[in-house]
Amino acid sequence: MLKQYLSEDTMQHKTSVDNWEEAITVAARPLLNKGVIDDSYVEAMIDSVEKNGPYIVLKDYFALPHAQAGTGVNEVGMSLLTLEEPVDLKGNEVKVFLVLAAVDASAHLGALSEVSELLMDDEKFEIVLQGDLEKIRQLIEEGN
Amino acid sequence: MYKFLAVCGFGVGSSMVLKMSIEKAAKERGIDCEVENTDLSSAKGTDADAVFTSQELGDELKGSTKAPVYPIQRYMDKEEVGKALDDFLSTKE
Repeated sequence: MLKQYLSEDTMQHKTSVDNWEEAITVAARPLLNKGVIDDSYVEAMIDSVEKNGPYIVLKDYFALPHAQAGTGVNEVGMSLLTLEEPVDLKGNEVKVFLVLAAVDASAHLGALSEVSELLMDDEKFEIVLQGDLEKIRQLIEEGN
Repeated sequence: MYKFLAVCGFGVGSSMVLKMSIEKAAKERGIDCEVENTDLSSAKGTDADAVFTSQELGDELKGSTKAPVYPIQRYMDKEEVGKALDDFLSTKE
């Protein structure tokens, strides 16, 4: 399930970004290019952090930017950005951004639950933090 | 059986992950519970034994729910979520 969303064309690695807004924008770009989401969804993800606070930082160094299901979203999608240098997200250091685009309350749940299982495993999370996309792809394959 | 709410701004992403953390921590403690994930506005009208959400959203919720609100900083942190569950349980003893 997860590998259906996270593939070569939706995973990126960068040395650094200037700020968390740029990180979310860069992380979401593959979904924008594929027509999975519209520009408005990227703005909505950034607005949500301003309005609701940084709870998208689900654990140290990991954030799950997302906004309203089905608004500015054309189909379910996920995209990943790993950073060599962490960026500050309202007082939290983040190295891994996983953009989630949902169309309703349920279609993405299988993939999201896989993400959650993977990241709650300390050894696997360490590999994700290192940011090597090839190794992350292997983890995702193994999870299937 | 307790009913818990896991709340985020939209009810589809972070709150889902929080629901999974609560279920894991509850299972470890042998707590019989049902966890529902929801967005902030739906949470305001839903009855529950306890509500788990972020500090910011918790402040918004406090006036509009009778249930105790437990702020969680890291939704994926099973230990932090477990501590909040322990706090809740200690009020039931």
